Amino acid sequence: MIQELKKTPFYNIHVNLGAKMVDFAGFSMPVQYDSIIKEHEAVRSKAGVFDVSHMGEFLLEGEDVVDFLQYVMINDLNLLEPSKGQYSCMCYDNGTVVDDLVYYEENPNRFRMIVNAGNVEKDYQWLNEHIGNRDVKITNLSSERSRLAFQGPKSDEYLQPLMDVDLNSVNRFYFARGNLNNTPIFIARTGYTGESGFELSFDNAFAEKIWSDLIQTGASPAGLGARDSLRLEATYSLYGHEINDSITPVEAGLFWLVKPKEGIDYIGKKILLEQKTHGTERIIVGLNLLERGIIRENFKIFKENVEIGYVTSGGYSPTLKKTIALGLIKKQYKEVGTKLEIQVRNKNLKGIVVSTPFFRNV
Amino acid sequence: MDYEFPENLKYTKTHEWVRIEDNTASLGITDYAQHQLGDIVYIELPEKGANLERESTASEIESVKAVGELLMPLTGKIIEVNNNLVDNPELVNSSPYDSGWILKLEYTNELEINDLLSVEDYKRIAEEEN
Repeated sequence: MIQELKKTPFYNIHVNLGAKMVDFAGFSMPVQYDSIIKEHEAVRSKAGVFDVSHMGEFLLEGEDVVDFLQYVMINDLNLLEPSKGQYSCMCYDNGTVVDDLVYYEENPNRFRMIVNAGNVEKDYQWLNEHIGNRDVKITNLSSERSRLAFQGPKSDEYLQPLMDVDLNSVNRFYFARGNLNNTPIFIARTGYTGESGFELSFDNAFAEKIWSDLIQTGASPAGLGARDSLRLEATYSLYGHEINDSITPVEAGLFWLVKPKEGIDYIGKKILLEQKTHGTERIIVGLNLLERGIIRENFKIFKENVEIGYVTSGGYSPTLKKTIALGLIKKQYKEVGTKLEIQVRNKNLKGIVVSTPFFRNV
Repeated sequence: MDYEFPENLKYTKTHEWVRIEDNTASLGITDYAQHQLGDIVYIELPEKGANLERESTASEIESVKAVGELLMPLTGKIIEVNNNLVDNPELVNSSPYDSGWILKLEYTNELEINDLLSVEDYKRIAEEEN
């Protein structure tokens, strides 16, 4: 049976703009409006608007939310304060990843959480299964609220005239509540592009108005294709690629997320701290090619004809104008400058381990 | 969707266009094909002088999101490749029938030309796929 794809509140707008729509995590989403490269460049040079309403949004309320998040998340909630957000992973006992996500502390008894589109149901279930007897109530707001990302070096300049809050007072990873042209929104200075910018959440009723207000600032619509090429340049992990239920955050290079949290037990703690201290057998590295070609996810990586790993994400970098990739390889080959080979269909291309991030402006 | 399909060319169901000239043919991918691939960022061109069978892969065309193949529409020998595409692969997007041509071949079996599609037949295929 063919299941009908879900639509975000911006679906008609995308179709009317002539976007190429694809199935992403069960949603019909715009992969590009005109050209991935042009949309990518618009975000690097001015600003772009991304529909990210396919992602999940949960509200966590109760006396024990902080205690609960300390137990299921690997990052440390003691680093948070009201009006601030935090990037984290929640992991299984063996340290592999249930999901990576951002949560925002509205107050100690109320957190807003944004999760990956493909993991909404799994996360909702996982969280609920681990509440135990704590006072925590989780509400899935994913389908009643809309989410847009507004990203690029001009995002402040473009957005400030429409806002009744001083965006300068909202530091990176902080958020505010305010009005955009008299429409109430949640606005956080976070993003997934390597540029400064914001992520917005608001009631579905305002979706079309806010989209049109944002486009009128001069920002360009940007699709999932540009979102992926931008995040790869910025070297942000993507669930299902750099992290998943068989890769740990330490292997993915996210060891800074693994916090000691002394005196606090959390799921995956034992193995993750051990990995952070002693290292892992495999690790994700940045790759460039020493010859022309494009490498993509799942291509095999070799060193002198011995398979040593595979590409987790790869493609053309519109900013650097060359091929970039991330690969999960055996640790003894992780040093920058190590030469290796990547199998592209029927032949091997010469590659080299390079430092990351490939490109970031924040 | 408005795609351009010149009347004076022959086509294949795998979205190559072919321009027959005496005993040679130049070819590339159609406007529909370049649009489906999106921004083209790398083209692997065949070796000049190579002899290739009909429907074998002559060239791989990489876009930001996907990889496509150029299949030989006719059996023959590669006599010229468009070296401009090495540094300017986007010519295939901006000018698929002109400066975005990919290769020229000397065909060895004239009868194969009869199997190429007319513009009307190809239009139908492209519309159906779309």
